[in-house]
Amino acid sequence: MIDLLNGIVALANFVLIPAIAYGSQLALGALGVTLIYGILRFSNFAHGDTMAVGTMFAVLVTWGLQGMGVSLGPFPTALLAIPFGILGAAAIVLLTDKYVYKFYRAQKAKPVILVIVSMGVMFIYNGFTRIIIGPDDHRFADGERFVISARTFRDMTGLEEGLALRTTQVITVVTAVVVVAALFWFLNKTRTGKSMRAFSDNEDLALLSGINPERVVLVTWLIVASLATVAGVLYGLDKSFKAFTYFQLLLPIFAAAIVGGLGNPLGAIAGGFVIAFSEVGITYAWKKVLVYLMPPALEPDGLVQILSTEYKFAVSFVILVIVLLFRPTGLFRGKSL
Amino acid sequence: MSGNPYQDDRGNKDASITNPHGQGTLTASGTQPNPMPGKDGPFLIGENMTGGYGKTGPDILHDCTIAVERGEIAVIVGPNGAGKSTAMKAVFGMLDLREGRVLLDGQDITQLTPQARVRHGMGFVPQTSNIFTSMTVEENLEMGAFIRTDDFRTTMAQVYELFPILREKRNQPAGELSGGQRQQVAVGRALMTQPKVLMLDEPTAGVSPIVMDELFDRIIEVARTGISILMVEQNARQALEIADKGYVLVQGANGYSGTGKDLLANPDVRRSFLGG
Repeated sequence: MIDLLNGIVALANFVLIPAIAYGSQLALGALGVTLIYGILRFSNFAHGDTMAVGTMFAVLVTWGLQGMGVSLGPFPTALLAIPFGILGAAAIVLLTDKYVYKFYRAQKAKPVILVIVSMGVMFIYNGFTRIIIGPDDHRFADGERFVISARTFRDMTGLEEGLALRTTQVITVVTAVVVVAALFWFLNKTRTGKSMRAFSDNEDLALLSGINPERVVLVTWLIVASLATVAGVLYGLDKSFKAFTYFQLLLPIFAAAIVGGLGNPLGAIAGGFVIAFSEVGITYAWKKVLVYLMPPALEPDGLVQILSTEYKFAVSFVILVIVLLFRPTGLFRGKSL
Repeated sequence: MSGNPYQDDRGNKDASITNPHGQGTLTASGTQPNPMPGKDGPFLIGENMTGGYGKTGPDILHDCTIAVERGEIAVIVGPNGAGKSTAMKAVFGMLDLREGRVLLDGQDITQLTPQARVRHGMGFVPQTSNIFTSMTVEENLEMGAFIRTDDFRTTMAQVYELFPILREKRNQPAGELSGGQRQQVAVGRALMTQPKVLMLDEPTAGVSPIVMDELFDRIIEVARTGISILMVEQNARQALEIADKGYVLVQGANGYSGTGKDLLANPDVRRSFLGG
């Protein structure tokens, strides 16, 4: 019995909690990708770097606040900096839209051309971030590190295994839930949100109904900049901020959006968790959990780690391929918002 | 095809990176937001219209005139490829006019974009893709009323009264409705702007004969409320029966025109277009 409890605690500590936190971050990122896909009709390869840009602004403001001695007590100061990060990211994407994407919209360019354009934008953002904050790893989390530390948990329960719950993980999940709820409310209940869905569904008819396309595009970019910054800051708090890591995040985020069904916000969230759980589950050494759950005679000799962590990106790709083979529209039906 | 490299379709079919669904195709001919003073005449008239698609496309309309009076129903009929829909699109500003002009209520709207024409009281129901399929019936109607800042609930109630089935299905996605019901949503959406003129491009395409009669009845009801109706129809005989005015187009030009009854009685029209 105690063994079973120990096994469950170990599983929660090493798989469930990290995967839920990571899944929330991916879901927020995938929501941004899916919104662009649904409304602007292309896959935005610059999304990972949009996250990096927003997070960079947030990190800079965090340092400024820390320098001034501002703090949120047990919470990370970065939460105060998120709005500034969003402003920075919004300014950058709106400038990009005005000087880059708008031209192609006016030409009624085919989506595939916008995809390639977004790759160019990606490189520019990439360089921009590195010029300002550098290519190094930055940790900017402060405040209380744990809600429950492994030692406290062991002392409390008397179990052999500890369960650590980091502040950033709790903040990640709570923020993700709030942001997603707000986004769904906005898309389904407000006039502007509905006009965005209408535009996504049928551009011509939206125009004939008097919906201004440029306004829809503007609001979309604002929402995407906010989602990207929030996702980026949460990821950075949980792990660390490094421009290149954010660029790499593009892969699991795209996988999440496509697995869930591109253009479908619900799918983006589901996809985020599917990818996160498989990535963590497949690269985790299960021996620790299995030792508790299996009879001693059957205890595994090896680590029972299916793939080493260096291969975690391969996992997203494999799932992506499997879903595209068997359910090309994604788990949830994609295409429109 | 169009010679525009930005519209090269190569590699555009990969749905994991591109989303052509619902992409805009509307090309607006107009450039100005406000109408110019015109002259008195019929409520809506497309006068001596000559033009075709694009800047260089061949002329499809040749000196074609279409007019409708307040509260009347005008019907455009004619053989396939006669330019019926094109004439309607020209009136609505989706076509470059090389000659001629469009007047609405005595104002020259030739240079107005389609969306500006909507604001000036024209409602348009395209032949296909005329509803937001992923949105509920009620949301479709709400989107129709997007340009209105006043309370549109009475208009919505009127639409529901006109099409009672829509009230029943108001929380259902419009894409799940039958063909006839979709057309009702489409007409309802256009009515939400409280247009002065309602333009219908083949409203009965693809619906059963019973539903077609029903739709025509509703269209007459709409006209009785003082809204002018301009419509293109395949079912020439039924359409001319309810028409105050009919236009038979032949190769982009006015072939015959007159009241619906006259055209139905005209032996030439009967022989050529109504099957005897």
